[in-house]
Amino acid sequence: MLVDAFARSPSPMVITDARAPDNPISWANDAFLELTGFDADELLGRNCRMLQGLGTDPAEIARIRTAVEAGNPVTAELLNYRKDGSTYWSAMTITPVHDAAGLAYFYAAQADMTHTREREVTMRVTNDELERLVAARTHDLSAALEQKTALLHEVDHRVKNNLQVISSLMLLKARRTPEGDARDALQGMAERIGALSTAHRMLYSEGDCTHFNLGDFAAEFLSDVNAGLDHDKQRVEAEVEPIAVAAAMAAPLALLIHELTANALRHAFPNAREGRVSITARRTEAGMQLTIRDDGVGLAAAAPNPAGFGRNLVEMVVRQLRGTIAWADAGPGTHVEIDIPLQLPA
Amino acid sequence: MRGGNAGADAALRILVVEDEVLIALELECLLDELGHVTVGIAGSSAEAIALGRSAEPDVAFVDIHLVDGPTGVEVARALAADPRITVVFMTANSKRIPADFAGAIGVIAKPYSERVVASILDWVADRRAGRAQQHVAPDGFHFAPAP
Repeated sequence: MLVDAFARSPSPMVITDARAPDNPISWANDAFLELTGFDADELLGRNCRMLQGLGTDPAEIARIRTAVEAGNPVTAELLNYRKDGSTYWSAMTITPVHDAAGLAYFYAAQADMTHTREREVTMRVTNDELERLVAARTHDLSAALEQKTALLHEVDHRVKNNLQVISSLMLLKARRTPEGDARDALQGMAERIGALSTAHRMLYSEGDCTHFNLGDFAAEFLSDVNAGLDHDKQRVEAEVEPIAVAAAMAAPLALLIHELTANALRHAFPNAREGRVSITARRTEAGMQLTIRDDGVGLAAAAPNPAGFGRNLVEMVVRQLRGTIAWADAGPGTHVEIDIPLQLPA
Repeated sequence: MRGGNAGADAALRILVVEDEVLIALELECLLDELGHVTVGIAGSSAEAIALGRSAEPDVAFVDIHLVDGPTGVEVARALAADPRITVVFMTANSKRIPADFAGAIGVIAKPYSERVVASILDWVADRRAGRAQQHVAPDGFHFAPAP
């Protein structure tokens, strides 16, 4: 009954005679005959190696032989050959069977793994191809990024160098211009360019080229301004929070702070009057508030300035930043308050 | 900058290595105003190294990009090999400076502010005179890492 069940099983099965010389096949079921393409009389009495060929892995064969010689069970996967020479992948479990006298048979159940194997090979080829594509794409992207970074550095370098040339040009012309309005104007322009330069210098120095730290700018600007002042008489102070603003706002904010400070120094302290200018900037709910305050003569008392370029410039820049500005006589001095909306960092 | 503060004893001999003529000229005016002496202006690496030998500068301001390419680093290394010369990079391209600063003591970033130029020269003058450092290094100046 058991033998009948084995004989009808759809799984290929084979039994070898462990006591006969060279461990020959003594029984095979129909499924095994069908898989291999041999007739029973072609298989019986012969060793299973007749199913092996050039493509069969010798290491796997050696592993099976070692186990069989020791009488141990073994599981293996082999490339086998049919009668017609075609190949199939066979996964097998080989089990020693004992009787009263000891080791008598080996029983091997097999499964045709050809489809699984083929799928594995296809998958491996597909994976290799995908990996190759990803590597190529990554390489292209890195190269493109590298190129972009190099370009950014190059442009940054050129902008800075050009700012330096423009600034040098202004100062050179100023030095060669007799003292008076023309010279003052040139020097004023050179100072404005200096403020823009400071902003630009800070823009890319921290590696973050999308933001600008107003606090850092103020510290640097303050040192530059105070270096040119007679400290016994006038002084500029700043209390600026480290506010990160969008890079696009760097230049207008730098101009604004410079202009208001320079204006105060120019007009608030006539006849070498002593005084202080203070710059404060703090975050507000909607953005930031910039205050420039001096303790000088005040708006009404300052000499009227028909050209008024400084004040004009300030109002234009505030409009560009979509802000509001209020000028007030603070008694003493002048108080300028500017509110600028900021986009909150995402 | 209102007037220099370098006394006669603090006047430094300065070599300007800069290929942009306008920048070099303005820098020369500024150095003069600060009471220092410009002993030469070089636009190429060969000129710079030759002037470094012949003009006996105390300080060399070295740009990275010169007429013959980004050769300022080599110039700095050659000039700094002479212990009498203090080399300071002055460039808009700080990213090209090698990690060891090629012997330079630091870098003034372009566009430079006159204050930073003035104060670093005061600092160098103090150091050369063996005086205690009365001047702290200005914030616009970046020192080379300690060797």
